[in-house]
Amino acid sequence: MQREFASREDLIAYVTQVFPGAKGAVSETVGGRRAALHKLAQLQPHAYGDTRNYLDGAVTHLSPYLRHGVLTLAEVRDYLQSQGYPWSVVEPFLRQLAWRDYWQKLYEQWGEGIWQDREPYKTGFTAADYGEELPADITNGTTGLLCMDSFSQELQTTGYLHNHVRLWLAAYIIHWRRVKWQTGAAWFLMHLLDGDPASNNLSWQWVASTFSVKPYYFNQENLARYTQQKWCMSCPHLAKTCPFLGSYEQLHKRLFPHAEFPQSHSRLGTRR
Amino acid sequence: MPNFPSPTLVWVHGDSLSPTNPALLTYPDAPAVWDEELLNQWQISRKRIVFIYECLLELPVEIRRGNVMEKLTQLMQEYGAQKLVTTQSPSPRFQHICQELSRQFTLEILAIPPLIPPQKYLDLKRFSRYWKVAEKHIYPH
Repeated sequence: MQREFASREDLIAYVTQVFPGAKGAVSETVGGRRAALHKLAQLQPHAYGDTRNYLDGAVTHLSPYLRHGVLTLAEVRDYLQSQGYPWSVVEPFLRQLAWRDYWQKLYEQWGEGIWQDREPYKTGFTAADYGEELPADITNGTTGLLCMDSFSQELQTTGYLHNHVRLWLAAYIIHWRRVKWQTGAAWFLMHLLDGDPASNNLSWQWVASTFSVKPYYFNQENLARYTQQKWCMSCPHLAKTCPFLGSYEQLHKRLFPHAEFPQSHSRLGTRR
Repeated sequence: MPNFPSPTLVWVHGDSLSPTNPALLTYPDAPAVWDEELLNQWQISRKRIVFIYECLLELPVEIRRGNVMEKLTQLMQEYGAQKLVTTQSPSPRFQHICQELSRQFTLEILAIPPLIPPQKYLDLKRFSRYWKVAEKHIYPH
């Protein structure tokens, strides 16, 4: 296949021609080792630890490069060490690298089993209660919920979503729309530049509760806080009809009326 | 394509698209081929293909597309190669292809430097159990 291109536009035109089945937008994120090393040099572990759960936080955008082995986890760790950062500063970031290592180790053990429910749902419903199809208003971005419509658009145009957004969108699809996690996971894999079957599917299973002790869900307060109210303020649903409105106790009753699992108030933003 | 037979062929797949991938480091002069299957497997969108292609353009590889088994077998014959080298991946599809290939050729699968040293026993039931072990080895502290 062709190796010489005059410009990125040329490459895009070539890919469009030789992979006619591949549809959609092209991301601004550029592939390759040079881009990866550039991103690595911009890593701010202090700020990462403090702000990573916020949409405008100092996240690294290294995931597509890690997923395709353009950078290895060990290389990134060694880089932090070479910069002399102490453990207390790098611990939050290393924990996220460790998540990827953990998912990969499970993938080695389970293989295609990562597509199956690892455990039953703890939502009070069975797998048969969840739909197979992804509702068109989600992929079209026409649910009317400004946050979710924007997340759907962003996924499909940029191939990237902030980790917190992934959790909200996955929780919305599984728990509010009662769609099987496998359906949502396959949609993410089509689009995420960092789409890795193990990290992706097992995180979806974590949200669904088929690989955790309880489902992950959120409320409006949580989403508004970590997005600096970016969508809520102009959303017509804000005050009355927002499906995410309410306390965790209220949402538990509404979403999982038959389920018993412990309430947790420590889930505001911190993942697992 | 070089016009001399190379004894070793390197197979670069989508989990290891770095010029420092151990297979390319060990055999820097060998021609290489890329596994295209990961594009087709899950209706991968155009933006993902462009990203992966850009990664490939920075590697010293010849890019081929198609059925991985067929293409690799064909390339081995074309180059008169006796040995095929690649890097490890947990993907079950990769494992299957390797099993098939090892029936026909000498296959060497090189390890990627690990994040934590291999453990005799590692409890993977939940992340918290894994982390209890990992945090001791992951970074000096």
